[in-house]
Amino acid sequence: MLAMAAVMLSVATILITWSVMGGFLKTLIASGKTLVGDVAIVWPNVGFAYYEDLIERLEADELIDSASPTIETFGLIELPDGRIELISIKGVEVSSYSDVTGFADTMWWKPIDEPTSKDHEGEDIRLDPQYRQMFEGMQANGLSMTRENLKTGHIEAAGVLGIEVTGLNDRRVWGGYYPWSPNRALPNGGTERLDVFMPRDGSVGLTILALDSSGRPIDPVTRTIPIANEFQSGLYEVDQGTIFVPLDVIQRMLRLDEASKVEMVRDDENPFEIQVDPVTGEIGPKMKEVVGVDPARVTTVLVRGVDGAELEAVRTRVREIYSEFADAHRGLVPDAINMQHQIKTWEDLNRTMISAVKKETGLVLFIFGIVSFTTVFLVLAIFWSMATEKTKDIGVLRALGASTPGIAWLWIRYGASIGIVGSVTGTVIGYWVVLNINAIHDWMGRTFGLVIWDPRQYYFVEIPSQVDLSKAVIVFVVGILTCVLGAAIPAVHSARMDPVKALRFE
Amino acid sequence: MERMVQEREAGATVRSEPILSVRNVHKTYNLGRVKVPVLHGVDLDVAQGEWVTILGASGSGKSTLLHLIGGLDRPDKHTNEPASMRFCNRELTRESKRSLDRYRADDVGFVFQFYHLLPELSVLENVTVGGMIKHGRLGYRTRCKEIVDRASGLLDRFGLSHRLRHRPAELSGGERQRVAIARALINEPNLLLADEPTGNLDLRTGESILDAIIEHRRDAGLTLVMVTHDERIAAKSDRVIQLVDGRVEEA
Repeated sequence: MLAMAAVMLSVATILITWSVMGGFLKTLIASGKTLVGDVAIVWPNVGFAYYEDLIERLEADELIDSASPTIETFGLIELPDGRIELISIKGVEVSSYSDVTGFADTMWWKPIDEPTSKDHEGEDIRLDPQYRQMFEGMQANGLSMTRENLKTGHIEAAGVLGIEVTGLNDRRVWGGYYPWSPNRALPNGGTERLDVFMPRDGSVGLTILALDSSGRPIDPVTRTIPIANEFQSGLYEVDQGTIFVPLDVIQRMLRLDEASKVEMVRDDENPFEIQVDPVTGEIGPKMKEVVGVDPARVTTVLVRGVDGAELEAVRTRVREIYSEFADAHRGLVPDAINMQHQIKTWEDLNRTMISAVKKETGLVLFIFGIVSFTTVFLVLAIFWSMATEKTKDIGVLRALGASTPGIAWLWIRYGASIGIVGSVTGTVIGYWVVLNINAIHDWMGRTFGLVIWDPRQYYFVEIPSQVDLSKAVIVFVVGILTCVLGAAIPAVHSARMDPVKALRFE
Repeated sequence: MERMVQEREAGATVRSEPILSVRNVHKTYNLGRVKVPVLHGVDLDVAQGEWVTILGASGSGKSTLLHLIGGLDRPDKHTNEPASMRFCNRELTRESKRSLDRYRADDVGFVFQFYHLLPELSVLENVTVGGMIKHGRLGYRTRCKEIVDRASGLLDRFGLSHRLRHRPAELSGGERQRVAIARALINEPNLLLADEPTGNLDLRTGESILDAIIEHRRDAGLTLVMVTHDERIAAKSDRVIQLVDGRVEEA
């Protein structure tokens, strides 16, 4: 029983650890890809122009499915409760962005067409038929990044906010959200109820530092952005600190939109050149003249390869296309050589985080593996003790004609049986724990105040809860082998025991 | 086989060829640095169907001789004249470990003073385990019914048919010894080696155990080598030998 319990616990522990950490990594990778696409062409801060041409060239290639222009920057967000926080701002062209990424699927406030048992159990508000129309409207708003102004009736450009940003959505145990209205403390000592549902009537203030074409900061720009919907990528860091706004809005705020190019055109020999105002007829010093158009810019173009295309092949193709594009706009866009290292796959963009989690997974597994390996010694000690206790019985069996291998095989079989039973129960327990890990974690939090999985530290709002069959099989087999290995030495010892001494053993 | 032995049966003395012939058997045990010689050249012949009783003082090597005959141990090799232990024309001293295992499984039945039943197994399982060892797991499966029937028959004959599912701990000393005898007989051995089978039982129970062995021996023509301290039991046997200073003396 002891040996079986040891194997059971080891198998369950390893399975839970491997599943959670593996799931953690899998979710991280999936989430990392969700809002990035396959390949990103990045030229931060000032961005690059003629991106429509680049996108056209990219989408003409048979290896590339779609491409989308985006702007990524940081700013300050003023939340409905008056807090001001740092936020990552992504300016996107919503239709093309949805083609390249899984953005549309991350929209939270929408009707659930295929509810899961978890949604039913949690009585998700989005399943309520009376709100269906409202959620349909919110979904449409999110996908068009617009919202009707309830006072004026005008349709305005709107943003999509991370579901965890405002703190106005109460995350439930089953993983869903309910809007709630907390009280806000006022400077005069009173409180005010924040009766705001962001996709209905909420808005935020965004302040960003605009840059000129050379990358130097100009004046900060502040704008109120209505919220069309909220998104949940599953990556806490993103959900808690990101807002999507329409590309044209952010371009204007950052002064990356198309503008007239003005320059002072002077006669070099006459620094006191004057000009006559054609309207008023007044004479004054010569002013700047419009000399052309400064095209709109973006900081990033996201690219999605066709289904089945290899990531590296897509990146190589994007580099080639960018080279052609840079040649066509020589001197007006970053040259191809400088851009080579700025064309990154989604794996490159998340490499630091993915690599850290991979190493952490390996380390945790290694440590738990070592701990579980002690099971071998535990089984060995238990079997050794049993073999000693059964010395006389071994002598009897030898007297009855049992062979040396027969006795050894008896112990090995016994070890294997314990291993099988221990591994089966351990796998079942491990499987059950992994499937219910979020509920167990929540129960532990409620009962003992023990919160092991804080989403602020582990990126994700939920603990990954999927068991990989191949991992379960490996853990199961290793569990049996552990027991067999632990039984092997006592088995050999028993088998080699002198039957006469065994019979005389007291 | 040149040597002939005398057999006493129903008052008549007949000569027959020995089933077991032991010559010049020495055995010394090493207790740490101390060597303890136990047998000093034992010679013994046992005829087919004969009942030989070995008497001797405690520590005279009776059990050691029984273990050597049963192939559980091997005689010393250091003497100039090598030891010989022949059983049915097989030289046991030259047999491999594996062959000795088979010899014990096929030809020998052991009965011990302290029964040595396996406590986790039922009465029936304690008896059938011998069949399982002889035939292996696969062979046992094919002969399962036959072996179980034989075990049940033996236990029935020894008055234990109502105890088949009981554990040894639930039995009296006499019942346990009967189970041990049934186990020794399950494979229909030629040679039964009994090491003080009544030594741990009261007089009356010991008598009943002895009667069971005698009856089976008579029916099956079994050869019996028994170690005992009890001279009354020895008196019932065909021949009594005494071990004195590690050598055999005919009593």
